[in-house]
Amino acid sequence: MPTMVAAPWQNRRRRVFQSVFQIDLSQPTPQSTPCVRFPDQGQPFGGPATSAAALAAGAVSTLSGSQSTILAEPGPLSYSSQPLFPSLAAVGDDQVAYDRAWHVVTARIALPPSATADDSFGTLAADSQQHPASQQAPFSSDAEFFQALTLIVHAPTVLPRATHTDDIVAWHAQQVRAHFAQHVIPLLSGCVDDNGDESRHEAGNHYERHMVIVMSSIRTLEAALRLYFYGLGLLMRGFGRLVDGSGSEAAAAEAELLATRFRRDIHALVGNSASEELMKSVSIVLARLAGTILGIPSVDGAGVDPITSRRPAPPTDDDFRALAARQRLHEIVEQLHSVGLAGERFQVLFAEIMESIMSKFVTGAYVGVWAASSSSTRSVSAATNTISRMPNPSSSSPCILALSDWVENHFARLSVEILSRVSPDPSSSPVTLSDVKTYQSLALGRLAALRISELFDIALAWPSSQGALDDLRATITTTARRLQLTASFSRALQTRLLHPGCSTLEILRTYIAIIRTLHALDHSKVLLGHVESSLQLYLCQREDAVRIVVTGLLASPEELRLAKKVKEAAKRQHHEKALSGAFMTPAVSRGVSRASPSTTGRRRQDSTPNIAVQDVPDDQQVLSSSSSTLVELALILNDPSQARRNAGAAPDISGADDDLDWADMGWVPDPVDAGANYKRPRSEDVIGTLISALGSEDVFIKEFASVVAGRLLGEPARFDQEMRVLDLLKRRFGEAALQNCDVMIKDVQDSKMVDGAIIRAREAQVGGGAGRAVLSTPVAGGREAKGEGETEPEYHARILSRLFWPDLDREHFLLPPPIVDYQRWYELGYEHLKSKRKLTWLNQLGQARVELELEDRTVTVDCSTVEATTIYAFQGADDGSGKPVQRSVEELYNELQMDEDLIAEALSFWANKGVLKRISQGVYAVVETIDAGGAGGDGPEPGSSAGGGASNEPEVESPRKASGAAGSSAGTLSAKEQERRAMYWQYIRGMLTNSSASMPLAQVSMMMKMLVPDGFPWSGEELQEFLGSKVASGELEVIGGKYKLVKK
Amino acid sequence: MEDNQNSAPGNVPATKLGGARKGIEPGLNASKRLQTELMQLMTSPAPGVSAFPSADGNLLAWRATIEGPDDTPYAGLTFKLSFEFPSNYPYAPPTVLFRTPIYHPNVDFSGRICLDILKDKWTAAYNIQTVLLSLQSLLGEPNNASPLNGEAAELWDKDPALFKTKVMDRHKDIEEDE
Repeated sequence: MPTMVAAPWQNRRRRVFQSVFQIDLSQPTPQSTPCVRFPDQGQPFGGPATSAAALAAGAVSTLSGSQSTILAEPGPLSYSSQPLFPSLAAVGDDQVAYDRAWHVVTARIALPPSATADDSFGTLAADSQQHPASQQAPFSSDAEFFQALTLIVHAPTVLPRATHTDDIVAWHAQQVRAHFAQHVIPLLSGCVDDNGDESRHEAGNHYERHMVIVMSSIRTLEAALRLYFYGLGLLMRGFGRLVDGSGSEAAAAEAELLATRFRRDIHALVGNSASEELMKSVSIVLARLAGTILGIPSVDGAGVDPITSRRPAPPTDDDFRALAARQRLHEIVEQLHSVGLAGERFQVLFAEIMESIMSKFVTGAYVGVWAASSSSTRSVSAATNTISRMPNPSSSSPCILALSDWVENHFARLSVEILSRVSPDPSSSPVTLSDVKTYQSLALGRLAALRISELFDIALAWPSSQGALDDLRATITTTARRLQLTASFSRALQTRLLHPGCSTLEILRTYIAIIRTLHALDHSKVLLGHVESSLQLYLCQREDAVRIVVTGLLASPEELRLAKKVKEAAKRQHHEKALSGAFMTPAVSRGVSRASPSTTGRRRQDSTPNIAVQDVPDDQQVLSSSSSTLVELALILNDPSQARRNAGAAPDISGADDDLDWADMGWVPDPVDAGANYKRPRSEDVIGTLISALGSEDVFIKEFASVVAGRLLGEPARFDQEMRVLDLLKRRFGEAALQNCDVMIKDVQDSKMVDGAIIRAREAQVGGGAGRAVLSTPVAGGREAKGEGETEPEYHARILSRLFWPDLDREHFLLPPPIVDYQRWYELGYEHLKSKRKLTWLNQLGQARVELELEDRTVTVDCSTVEATTIYAFQGADDGSGKPVQRSVEELYNELQMDEDLIAEALSFWANKGVLKRISQGVYAVVETIDAGGAGGDGPEPGSSAGGGASNEPEVESPRKASGAAGSSAGTLSAKEQERRAMYWQYIRGMLTNSSASMPLAQVSMMMKMLVPDGFPWSGEELQEFLGSKVASGELEVIGGKYKLVKK
Repeated sequence: MEDNQNSAPGNVPATKLGGARKGIEPGLNASKRLQTELMQLMTSPAPGVSAFPSADGNLLAWRATIEGPDDTPYAGLTFKLSFEFPSNYPYAPPTVLFRTPIYHPNVDFSGRICLDILKDKWTAAYNIQTVLLSLQSLLGEPNNASPLNGEAAELWDKDPALFKTKVMDRHKDIEEDE
């Protein structure tokens, strides 16, 4: 409600009221009206007449009730009262004397009844303060006032019969309250409103606007308070005189007490009646100023330069902005305090502001700042070593040091400054040393919360996030925080990692990072144990997990080299970024390591031209290759520090209990949240953790064997990497568990010798067609080759010990006759060499080099034996008609007795090589000339076999195995698979016999998944197909969508 | 990681990890033991008996089938049984009931069986298959000394023909489609 409108209305209302009741509401002496007062015993009635006259004069003055103030009116009153005093005392009409004295005093200190505008309000107050005496001198002198005051104060003794007395100070307080409510509060709300209206247009500068509100409010209040304290001052001066006169110390003290109480009341009044809007403005102004002082960049800063707005940082000593803000804040706080706005509400407000500034500072300054501590130059492994040595580094990370410093030197300092200004008791320091410690621990708690929320990204960024881990380790000190950490981390895992959108490789890679991160954080592994169970469960659903781990372990040295390079490049780039001061988000750092390898490579090249250009494609290649293999594992496996630790762990296994290592200076007690059977792990043991997460060692070793088998049958002649990995794994799992792999490697090595021996024997007695020796023990595996008449093809075999190799499927097909011959003599040679043993050929696991002489070109291809056999069949089919040879899948199937899928695969392989082309569904023809093949396709290109018998001449040089055992082609069932199916059939029969006579597919599938050990890998479709085959063979029937055993 | 961290019951999907972990300690977990037994039953089935967990997938409740042995009154009949395993199996015997009505000296009319190995003679060395085989042989050689069905015990010796008739009367194939 605008004051301007309100004031006239109030006046009018008062006038109406007065015309009826003839009483001024603000009449200073309501209790002493004549009608309520009777003369005391023996008193003549003369007295009242005079007093009535005086009162009538007062009434006249009130009736005249103009806008002029009472202060301007007391003329007649004073005149008449002047002579009255002695006479009053003389006649002993104490009450009347008291009333008069009361009136004199109150008239003097009465407040202006209205104050309609800032100006009049202000000037009035100023005047009253500056020349209080001169203004009123003609009417009521100070002497008179003090005399009256003396009367009032000493009423009980001087005027013993004045029964109606009152406390002048309380009256003044009452007056002040009414005045404040009637006039000042509307003014204050006017300040807020007016400014609100104005600044609605000039959006943006909120701070300025609120500053205006605060300042104008303060000015208003100051003026009002000056007014109030003027009255009080008068009273006090009066008291002072009294005291001087009486010399009573107690009275002085009492007066002082009264004054203090009055001040306190007024401040409480102001503080409690300050509007929400005003307090809001105050808080905004305070927040802004305190923020500037403490180095929090302002949010609304249009004019703030972008660099400083990046991150909060403690201002330097000579930062003039901070200095100015500090001064401004001091002024404002002092003013607020002087007008009484610095009460409890202010302190709560201030506490809230400081709290939010602390949060802002911690989040703003340290989010994403994970740089390692000063020792960032240490190698990663060295860093982890150090960490495991010193479990409780009190000399913590730069973040913590900086934060503590900030709290102590800025945060606490500001608190001291502000609180001491508003503190009612200036002698005691408002902030004690222990308070500072509390602030610091609060700040560290916030840092911990921040790091906890970032932990997932920290793990991803490992090891460049060492610093953040140091922070965490130093701040995670309570069990509650540990729980918070694991809970929040588990949630992050669920939402960010464990969903179908992440590849198994990515999950494993993250898992490794998590293992290392949490180990660095808490090398007792208890934290890790808390978070990883969901991860492990999830990994169990990923069937390729074990394979990825194994291939990662076996990553070739080239891959390692490349991976290292990439890492360095990434690190370098990380550094560059860090140096440039750019803010690195976790997302960006992830991108560096995998998501956008090509751009990083490029960018690096741009920024550092001294890097050899040739490197770049290399790196990129690495990046792509490293992204498909879990090279991290191989890196860890090859890490000498890891190896050393493993070696160190070995005697541990043999029984030495490290709890008994009395000399271990790094010993710490087990974490409180460790489980009952908790056993202290020795190292971070990434590989061990990963392997145990994937189920059991058995599964792992099985997979390892099958991968190694594939590699052993493959190209490279040396198996250094495999041997080394094998050695490392032996150390972990023990000799016995990996015996199979030993045998496999030995087989391959022996094969070379045997092979050499057989070939030498063959050369010695060429054409020695010895009779077939039928020998008993079948020994697995071999290799085939094929060759053409005149040129003697080379033929080598690898001899595998069946029992020790993973199941290698036998694929049946007919080899080209020349190769069969070779096989036969090889077999004989072997049986000759090792009596009692026999070879079983695994024809499909070979490799052949085929040389095809076509009309216009010669093609040399390294291919699998299946492909070689298939193309060989085209040679045999040359009918001499002069047309390109055409064969259909069906013909080849009959001729080679090979699986149709394999044939189709082989045909499309040759079609890709440009040797064959597809004529129609399942029919392929030889492309004798490129033109013909490329041009039309259907034109019966001539010359094909015109080239004579030489058209296709596969020449096999070195047969070898190609595809790994595990990668067996579809279509055929291994013995193992047959066995499995038989077992499943047992289950299904048992189920339908006992559990329920008929079951729908879904239920069968559910039961199987639940009951088959090692898991039931079939999908619903596969199971349906299987059940369908049983229906077809008459063992099952389907009734109403449910499967049922056929009753016999 | 230490094993104890994730071996809390229910923490690990039984089908996935259970089989993969080497050496299932008998008794540590009834479900594991039962799964192993199921595997044994499936890979080396005994003639004339079979068993399987109930259709709701509860490993502690099984259904079993016994074919009546030749040369006994039960020849050619099949009997359904239910097994309820206590949670401390195999340290306590399962509760076994005939679900198919059977006329037999040691089986009462609600299917309860009087067989020492299912009571006080039980040891952890027994398993489902041995119980089934014992029951199968009980069909041919009832223990008439402690009958649950006195009439049957009497008739077994006195009047085999009447016994056989009673057996056939009582037997009724139950259809157990839920």
